[in-house]
Amino acid sequence: MSEEQAVAGAPAAPRVERRVRRRGPLSWIDVRGRRLGGWAFALNRATGLGVLLYLYLHLVVLSLLAGGPSSWDGFILIATNPLFLVLDVVLLFGLLAHGLNGIRVSLVGLGIIVDRQRALFVAFFIIGFIVFLIGAVRIFGETGGG
Amino acid sequence: MTDQGSIRDDAPARRDVAGNAPEPVEAGSRTVGWLIQVITGALVLLLVTLHMIANHFIVPNGLRNFNDVVEYLRTPIVLFFEVMFLVVVTWHGLLGLRAVLFDFGLSARTERLITWLLAIVGVVTVGYGLWLTSVVISWA
Repeated sequence: MSEEQAVAGAPAAPRVERRVRRRGPLSWIDVRGRRLGGWAFALNRATGLGVLLYLYLHLVVLSLLAGGPSSWDGFILIATNPLFLVLDVVLLFGLLAHGLNGIRVSLVGLGIIVDRQRALFVAFFIIGFIVFLIGAVRIFGETGGG
Repeated sequence: MTDQGSIRDDAPARRDVAGNAPEPVEAGSRTVGWLIQVITGALVLLLVTLHMIANHFIVPNGLRNFNDVVEYLRTPIVLFFEVMFLVVVTWHGLLGLRAVLFDFGLSARTERLITWLLAIVGVVTVGYGLWLTSVVISWA
C-alpha cells in the first residue's frame, strides 16, 4: 500500500508488474526487471549471431579446398594450433547454448511444457554443461594430444 | 512484440499477477516465419550433430585431409546430408538475423527490403557452397 493510499484509506490496488520497454539488440544487456526467460532470449540471440558469423568464417576457410591438397592440408597444420582449438570450444558452447535453448523456446512456443520453463531451462543447462565438458576434453584430447 | 522470436519466447511470462491471458500471437507471416524457424532449427540441430561427429569427432586429429574430404563428399548419402545442411543452416541463420534486425523497429518498407536482401544473400551463399562442393567432388 502506498503512502497516499494509506492516508486516504483506500484499498490496496493489486500489484501490477512493471514492464520495462526494451527496443533493439542493445537492450539485450538491459538488466532492469529481466527474468530467466529474458536472459535466455538474449543469450539465444547473441549465440545465434555468433554462430552465423562462424558459419560464414567456416565457408571462407572451406574455400581453401578449391586450392587443392597443398592449400587445404597446409591449413590443417594451422588448425590444430591451441588457439584454433579454443575457438572450436567457443563454437561448441555457442552451438549447445543456442541449440538447447532453441528447443526450450520451441517447446514453450508450441504450447508444450509451458508451465515448466524454469525446470526445462535448468535441465537443458545441465545437459549442455555435461556435453560441453565432454566435447571440450575431446577437442583438446584428440587434436591437441594427437 | 517485435518479432516472431520474442512473441513466442516470453508469451507465458506475459500473464500478469492477476492471471490475465497473454497477448494473442500475431497471425500471418510472422507466425509462419516462426514455425519455419522452429522446423529449420530442429533440422539444423540434427544435421549439425551429424556434421560434427562425421567431420570432427570420429576423424583422427579432428579434420580430414584433402583426399579424405574428396572421398567423403563423393559418397551420395553424405553429399545429400551436407547439401541439406548447407541449405537449412543458411535459411535458419539468415531468418534469425532478419528477426534480430526487425528488433530495431524498422518501417514496413525497410523490413521488406531487408527480407529481399537476405534472400539474395542466402541464394548466393548456397550457390557458392554448391559450387565449392562440385569443385571438390570433381577434383582429379
